[in-house]
Amino acid sequence: MTDQPHYRFPPASAYRLNRCLFALKSDDAFRARFLKDARATMSELELDADDAAAVVRGDRDALLARGAHPYLVFMADLRLRMEREPVSFEFF
Amino acid sequence: MLVGAFACAHTPQLLARPSTEDRDLVLRVHAAFARVKRRLETLRADAIAIVAGDHVEAFFLDAVPALAVYVGAECSGTFGRYRYRFPIHEPLARAIVEQGVERGFDLFYTQHAPLDYAFYVPLHFTMPEPAVPIVPLHVNVYLPPQPTPRRCYEWGRALGEILRARPERVVLMASGGMSHFPGTDRYASPEFEYDRRLLDALKAGHGRELAAITGEELDKMGNVELRTWTTLLGAVGEGKADVYCYEPSWHHGNAVVEWPV
Repeated sequence: MTDQPHYRFPPASAYRLNRCLFALKSDDAFRARFLKDARATMSELELDADDAAAVVRGDRDALLARGAHPYLVFMADLRLRMEREPVSFEFF
Repeated sequence: MLVGAFACAHTPQLLARPSTEDRDLVLRVHAAFARVKRRLETLRADAIAIVAGDHVEAFFLDAVPALAVYVGAECSGTFGRYRYRFPIHEPLARAIVEQGVERGFDLFYTQHAPLDYAFYVPLHFTMPEPAVPIVPLHVNVYLPPQPTPRRCYEWGRALGEILRARPERVVLMASGGMSHFPGTDRYASPEFEYDRRLLDALKAGHGRELAAITGEELDKMGNVELRTWTTLLGAVGEGKADVYCYEPSWHHGNAVVEWPV
């Protein structure tokens, strides 16, 4: 159980970072505020400067290195892209 | 009583078809879902008990249940412009949580939690007409430490006994799988051969073997969600799987399967 290469126990040090990615993934109002003013939403969630910079850059490798859950990184990015490029999604 | 058992892929690309997807592949999976829908109508299901792994939607790190039952009056979830609301079969949900606890499973329950797409993507395509109420059953698959496959199988065996003793005609559905690695470097290279070996074992009626797979192996093979299938297999036993489709996309092994009950 300790040696899972892909999904690891999320370190407590990354709780706020993961909470931020969770909000980008699942909280429509938060995501809209982020798209309008990313830096302001970072202070809203009290992220430290390095975490905030990685989120704003959308730097997947940095986020993972800082303890972000890979699925949250993936889906937060997908939901942001769905907002930014809605035409690339075919709805039915 | 338990009248049917199915496993369905739930990748959201099947719903919000982005341009990255192979259109024909998606339509073949839709066709398999349509077969499930017709089966649910033929089986005259009164309720669908659906086992899925919440994708950190209802349960964030504030509270991480291994196994959970939704026992509210209804449940709802959204994904982009998709919005779903389902009535919950409350007497059935309550029986599952009460009898599950009685049988030694320390179940978490919720009367108000968001519904993850893992539940509603298969229901979008397979809900019979007229629609029936559901009972969402969560298994933790993405936040380690997850329940062991053996524990999932044991829970499924208890769940099957509970469902068989009920007056309603219940269909059990496992949502998820097969191999995929969302958010990791492996996203574009799932373990399709591993999936095919699993399906061969299931077609031969060797479902019990899935209970012996370790959590580490599931993680390595992109099959953390197989725990929902393992739960279903505990309920259906050694029946031979009827594989409606196995469609490997560039990122996901999409399977739709039925088991005899």
